[in-house]
Amino acid sequence: MTNPFRTFLLVSLAALLGGCGREAAKPASDSRPVIALVVKTLNHPFFVDMQRGAEEAARAANVELIVQAAEREVDVERQMQIIENLIQRKVGALVIAPSGSREVVPVIVKANRAGIPVLTVDTRVDAAALAGAGGQVATFIGSDNHEGGRIAGQFLAEKLGGRGRIVVLEGIPGHETGDARLRGFREGIRAHPGMVVVASQPANWERDQGYNVCQNLLQAHPDVNALFAANDLMALGALEAIAAAGRRRQVTVVGFDALDEARAAVKAGAMAGTIAQNPALMGRTGVERAVALLRGEAPPVEIGVPIELIK
Amino acid sequence: MLAMRGIAKRYPGVVALDGVDLTVESGEVHILLGENGAGKSTLMKILAGAVARDAGTIEVAGKSCGMATPRAAQQAGVAIIYQEFNLVPHLTVGENILLGREPASGLPGFIAADALRREAQRWLGELGIALDPDARVADLGVAEQQMVEVAKALSLEARILVMDEPTSALSNAEISRLFEVIRRLRRRGVAIIYISHRMEELAQIGDRVTVMRDGRHVATRGIPDVTLDELIRLMVGRELKEQFPARRTARGAEALRVEGLTRRGVLHDVSFTLHCGEVVGLAGLMGSGRTELARAIFGADRIDSGRVMLNGRDVAIDSPRTAVNLGLGFLTEDRKRQGLVLCRDIAENTSLASLDRFCRGGVLSTARAEAAATRLATDLRIKAPSIAQAVVNLSGGNQQKVVLAKWICREAGVLLFDEPTRGIDVGAKTEIYQLISRLAAEGRAILMISSELPEILGMSDRILVMHAGRIAGEFSAAGATQEAILECALGPKVAA
Amino acid sequence: MKVPTFIARHGRQAGTVAVFLMLCAVLSVLTPHFLTTSNLLNVAQQTVVNAIVAVGLTYVILSGGIDLSVGSVLALAGVVLGLALEAGWPLPVAIAACVLVGALCGVLNGMLVAFGRLPPFIATLGLMSIARGAALLVTDGRPVSGFDGSFRWLATGELLGVPVPVWCMLAVYVAAHVVLHRTRFGRYVFAIGGNEEATLLSGVPVARCKVGIYALGGGLAAGASVLLTARLNSAQPIAGLNYELDAIAATVIGGTSLLGGQGSVFGTLVGALIMGVLRNGLNLLGVSSFVQQVVIGAVIIAAVLLDTFFKRSRR
Repeated sequence: MTNPFRTFLLVSLAALLGGCGREAAKPASDSRPVIALVVKTLNHPFFVDMQRGAEEAARAANVELIVQAAEREVDVERQMQIIENLIQRKVGALVIAPSGSREVVPVIVKANRAGIPVLTVDTRVDAAALAGAGGQVATFIGSDNHEGGRIAGQFLAEKLGGRGRIVVLEGIPGHETGDARLRGFREGIRAHPGMVVVASQPANWERDQGYNVCQNLLQAHPDVNALFAANDLMALGALEAIAAAGRRRQVTVVGFDALDEARAAVKAGAMAGTIAQNPALMGRTGVERAVALLRGEAPPVEIGVPIELIK
Repeated sequence: MLAMRGIAKRYPGVVALDGVDLTVESGEVHILLGENGAGKSTLMKILAGAVARDAGTIEVAGKSCGMATPRAAQQAGVAIIYQEFNLVPHLTVGENILLGREPASGLPGFIAADALRREAQRWLGELGIALDPDARVADLGVAEQQMVEVAKALSLEARILVMDEPTSALSNAEISRLFEVIRRLRRRGVAIIYISHRMEELAQIGDRVTVMRDGRHVATRGIPDVTLDELIRLMVGRELKEQFPARRTARGAEALRVEGLTRRGVLHDVSFTLHCGEVVGLAGLMGSGRTELARAIFGADRIDSGRVMLNGRDVAIDSPRTAVNLGLGFLTEDRKRQGLVLCRDIAENTSLASLDRFCRGGVLSTARAEAAATRLATDLRIKAPSIAQAVVNLSGGNQQKVVLAKWICREAGVLLFDEPTRGIDVGAKTEIYQLISRLAAEGRAILMISSELPEILGMSDRILVMHAGRIAGEFSAAGATQEAILECALGPKVAA
Repeated sequence: MKVPTFIARHGRQAGTVAVFLMLCAVLSVLTPHFLTTSNLLNVAQQTVVNAIVAVGLTYVILSGGIDLSVGSVLALAGVVLGLALEAGWPLPVAIAACVLVGALCGVLNGMLVAFGRLPPFIATLGLMSIARGAALLVTDGRPVSGFDGSFRWLATGELLGVPVPVWCMLAVYVAAHVVLHRTRFGRYVFAIGGNEEATLLSGVPVARCKVGIYALGGGLAAGASVLLTARLNSAQPIAGLNYELDAIAATVIGGTSLLGGQGSVFGTLVGALIMGVLRNGLNLLGVSSFVQQVVIGAVIIAAVLLDTFFKRSRR
């Protein structure tokens, strides 16, 4: 093989890695405890807020914080690999927002074996699967998606006086969080026989798909007067589609997550409401509890983060 | 107008051009004549800047030109119309003529459609061509597409126009229309280099003729002063009889019989036989259906009617796989595209058609396959550091030997050779001839397609000549001359 | 085999191996956690799924094709396995069903390519969507999970201190290597990718081979799904999203030409290991996940540049 190109390649590769190494080398030199936060993805505002909360807490407690996530929210295998690698790195404690409530169990067991305490945030680990595998989670910090969905359903029913023809935008099928929200929503409207779900379709958590699916459903069901989206990104996409169809007045929209943009839409009256889960508080509490755990304080099994309806 | 002097080009193992001179005057139609492989197209590619020359000078209108790139050649006023047109099929006639030089409208990046149409119409008008500038090129016939190419060349202000076999796909009426356009170009002072195999066109359109052979300039003559016989002699004129091995034919049983083979529009009622131990030469011009005949027999193309018998038994060859299993081998005309897996090594190419022999239950004995390949490589004197050498790195002659090795390894009894020595230097040619001769002596039946008449005459026991998809004549080796074969291949028209 | 023969055949992999070793060397200097037995086994385990998918894809790419459906086929085969286990089928039968489904998807790909004359890109793009939809359909979108210990042994068990999945990966690679270099079928894979027309004119049953090649690709994706399902203790219909891209990357980094005809499964293994080591190392260093994507992308591009550069320098 001829050499100049190869040399160039190797040098640039080394430089890249070296750069990464320097970035990592700064905190590695000190002996502060290391806490790792592994979230589902970092390209969703929800988890970015969670990261922000965690960073505040880490600064306050003077611990080193590593935040990592898979590129895709649904990539459970990749999240598992990240956690395995952090176990190899011998972090002090793991704070995990599981991408899959059952799929995360094997790696929690691994962490347990390595003597690293695990805390979960946002998504609850499947209790039966965890018990079956003999794994342990020190504490769960989060709010109840099911409860949030129920509140959204009730709110929508009250807002419409119990008579509504509803379109539902689902997340990626087979996703625990979304399923819990949808189950809760159905429970919330069950007491109102006038509330009918005319269509329930996945828009895969994404804004542009929220737009497209909503546009299609408005075509198929001209009499729709309400929309529930399992997250705000889809709700915001749907809002655009509704506005484009000139039906802003007729359709009441409720979302989930209380993103800044959604809060603004609620304030402006474009959206009826959204459910706030306070991810920043989850992140902060997660790190605080991990620090306490390392100090030897046993945390409660579960810490609820209040759900709030923004309307 | 154009003066090329001492042009030389060598490829690894082959001297393609050996100090060729060519001068063309303004307003002249200069015919370039030569057998396949004589070096005509390499010379034209050098003129077009598509191939770099090793030595020699090129002057256009008295000014020395480098012709280092196609663009430089274009700027010097050279335009070439290849047999494969360089047109964008989905654009219109006008867009093709002015491709890359579209008249701009007021808005940057937008084309002034009207101006484009007018401009294109003007060039078409100059040539007296009745074509709608808005017609899509894909919807045009071959002759019309050719006219678009000519108009495009003219619009590029070409001072030197090269036409490579422009009439090969045209009807008689279309040819006379093309000649009319060529005469107009000549009146405008364009120097035209015209490559053709068709002798009858020479007198009609040519002013002077240059004959090339084996990469050398043989002669340049004024058309009125030269006879057809003389040109044929100049073209084939080589006296290389000694390069062909002396052969003793032991004609055996009938190996292959073809009766009434027809493939619509390509082959018409072709019948012949091939015996063990015999080399039958198949001559004919390009496009006469020789390759198509071999492909049809080999099952690579479907046949519409006719029967094929092998060793006296009727066979239905529906795919190359069947053909190979029945003991046929096909050395294709284009060994790079159809004969070899270039990126793989000698051993793999040699055993490709006969892996069954080296397999037990699908498991390959690489040792035996490699031993066989080594044996053949030594036997055929394939020059390479090892049998693990990728064939892409071999010279043409050695590549061809690998293809031969493949079919010898397969122990094919009936071999169809299509241009077995194309693009191979003289030394390797002799070796290939000896191999062919040996294969025949071992009792194999060989059909050898070739455009080189000395090769046909030197190697064949019998000679078949094709013209327009039919067998136009058969000669015995003793009774054939190059002139007679060429006349037969040129078809009845040339008699006049 | 003589020395020049060996170098001519394996010179390419030497470059890939060098890059891999250098990567390892750099990482062991940067972090003390990298060069430990447990971490290396960890990397090996993390590489298993990509590596097995990639070996099937290597066959496809060597033959001059491409298979975009492997990620979806992995998901479909995985949920078939999950549902079969849930229904109480014996483990060997369930695995056989899973691999069969994967292979059938491959057969379909191969038929579309070989007999339907569709470009492989289009055929497998279609099947990518079909298989994904089918996986969601049969599971109603829910993951299938909770399997018994004997199945989980495939992920958690160890033999001689090495995890079972790593053994499986090695076995697959040895077999794939042997098939590629020691069988007629393997030879045909190279020949078809190198020059399909010449291969056809040499009497090789090209169409049948292609069906076999794609079937192998699908079957190996299904094989990977068995290990993935055991690892996650769950079969997800949304598993394997974009895995085809990781597998293509591993194949290409390993020196297999996207034009077909040249490459090796050994190179692909090293390619998959390079990707695994990169991700692992960047995790260990605590590099932000955004930077990680940049680095991985840069390595893929560098590898392909190397590939084209190498080819050009040989012309």
